[in-house]
Amino acid sequence: MDFRLTADQSALVEAIDKLAGQFEAKPTEFRGFALPGGALDKELEDGQYFDIAQVPELGAVCAAMAVERLARLPCATEVALSMLVRPQLAGEWPRPLAVVENGRPGRFVATAGTILLIEGEDIRVVRTAAGDTEPVDSLFAYPMGRWKGRAEISPLSGERSANVRKWLRIALAAEASGLLQAALASAVDHLTQRKQFGRPLGSFQALRHRMAECAVLAGGVRWLALKAADTAEPGDAALAAMHAQESATRIVYDVHQMLGAMGMTLEHPLHLWTYRLKALLSELGGRGGQALAVAAECFAGKDRITAVPWAARGPAPQ
Amino acid sequence: MHFAWNAEQQSFRSTVRAFLSAHLPVDWESLAHGPASEAQSSFSKRFCGQLAEAGLLVPHWPKRWGGRDAGAWTAFILAEEMWEAGEPRGGQYMNVNWIGPTLMRFGSEEQQARYIPPMARGATIWCQGFSEPEAGSDLASLRTRAEKQGSSYRINGQKIWTSYAQHADTCFLLARTSPGRDGISVFLVPMDTPGIIVREIPSLIGEGDLHEVFWDNVEVPGSALLGAEGQAWEIARAALSLERVGIPRFALATKMLHRAVAMLERSGRFGHGAIEQAAKARAACEAARFYSYSIVDQREHGIPTGPEASAARFATVMAERAVHEFVVEHVPEALSGGEAMLLAHHQRAIVAGVASGAAEIQLNLIATDLLKLPREPR
Repeated sequence: MDFRLTADQSALVEAIDKLAGQFEAKPTEFRGFALPGGALDKELEDGQYFDIAQVPELGAVCAAMAVERLARLPCATEVALSMLVRPQLAGEWPRPLAVVENGRPGRFVATAGTILLIEGEDIRVVRTAAGDTEPVDSLFAYPMGRWKGRAEISPLSGERSANVRKWLRIALAAEASGLLQAALASAVDHLTQRKQFGRPLGSFQALRHRMAECAVLAGGVRWLALKAADTAEPGDAALAAMHAQESATRIVYDVHQMLGAMGMTLEHPLHLWTYRLKALLSELGGRGGQALAVAAECFAGKDRITAVPWAARGPAPQ
Repeated sequence: MHFAWNAEQQSFRSTVRAFLSAHLPVDWESLAHGPASEAQSSFSKRFCGQLAEAGLLVPHWPKRWGGRDAGAWTAFILAEEMWEAGEPRGGQYMNVNWIGPTLMRFGSEEQQARYIPPMARGATIWCQGFSEPEAGSDLASLRTRAEKQGSSYRINGQKIWTSYAQHADTCFLLARTSPGRDGISVFLVPMDTPGIIVREIPSLIGEGDLHEVFWDNVEVPGSALLGAEGQAWEIARAALSLERVGIPRFALATKMLHRAVAMLERSGRFGHGAIEQAAKARAACEAARFYSYSIVDQREHGIPTGPEASAARFATVMAERAVHEFVVEHVPEALSGGEAMLLAHHQRAIVAGVASGAAEIQLNLIATDLLKLPREPR
């Protein structure tokens, strides 16, 4: 265990932070449901940032940090799947990447170059052709789209499919981590500025404690996401996605309570984070789906800690 | 940044496990029914002596005091293995974690020479005289007073919730020498001093854990004062910052969750509701673990720890809650004559948000220092 960043990793984190700094503000007049991130996408392409997971000095943990940082921006850009899942697909696959789960509309589907089609246990990877997709109006703060094409290819093998699913979970957790931090920061701003009963809302203990609990949950999501990106263990990925969806469910509700009616408007940017989080809640089977993965990977005698008497415990954890 | 144990960390953990295998009796789990019980306290004295001989009691202490200057990771790996095994050190974990280091920092040469070597040998038990009937979370309002009379102090008052008081040799006592927060001082008081009366409070959390301690004209020499008069707030803050990420509660919680799940699986009762609840609890444990590790890593590299330590503590409280609620719902027999270790865990888990200070105080600190929310009016 050593959580210090190397010089290369620090430099990358700084570079991403500097780039993100240019996209921090929501355009004042914007009133849409999802803020497109085309200009950021181009900057990331030009700077070859989508390949950082494959750079040995940086690795997937750095990619996860980049995903997290960029998710904190008000605009929605397809970063997580490109940075964390695409390196796991054999061959060249055009980005953006999108997931279509059991025929439902998915994030970035309308503009995707590559789509991962999930049907029950099967995952198929397809390159999109003209007319395969169409945009869908949505409350979610991602550009949503529907897949209309036909996939006449065979699904990935069980092993490759499990690997893709694992990295989808890691990508989900890293993205959620950034979104949670930004949603909390937005609520903190409101609670600091908005006064009632003659004092800032954020000075009332009932709200302070709720916010503090949310902050603890969000911090936990971050650690589990980074750990899973580093170890690439399926159990770690399942725990990270589980904690992300569980925490997001609560935090999205709580931060909206903090904002009151202002949080219901399209003028305030809060929804640009909370309605991305809500889009993540159902993915990969939701909490029930993550729970089955945790049960398969962490329980059932697979984990180091089992029900044997303490004296007969196994070797030290890896 | 990497999340794998290095060779040194793995090897140290193996050493500790091998020691536990060799020194804990086969029926240890049925004995480990309360860190302050008669049975465990007498076992712990023998066990800590053996740990000390093996160089595993205070490896993170300076060489001068019997350690080997090992880092924060060594101390925490040791703490994890001990807590996961049911804390066979009993109350002596406090000596190792914070009382010893606090005396090294604030104690006089005489106090250090008197008190630190027995701790390093594993031969002494301390208790912590902080809480009072009228001073819990509002510790600064404590009333127990120490009046200077010539070269000595006369102590009068009452402490409560004092763990290990019946077995303790010495008390780390907070008492008032003048009014206000700056009027609180720390005294190191032998528990056999005339005028100290200890009474056990029967409780849900195991034999010998809670006591009230009455101080009736207890006379101590001026040399019992730790640091200067009025320095208690500074000393207690330093001590509590070591304690905030002190007990790796998530380690035993995780182990007990796995044990409960294994029991359910064996009897074919690990169904939908239980699976989801267990997975959430497992994730909460893992979050608490890495939150705590992040603080340990800062200590290891000499980075001052900030409000994240409060967040780590609260994450641990959440994990303990998730696991013990899982057990109560799905393995309720644990509270009615079932497995001793599940019961022992329940009794430790229910105090996670209370022992070493109400967790709500940590939420206040997180709101102010981590989130930077405006303070409450005073």
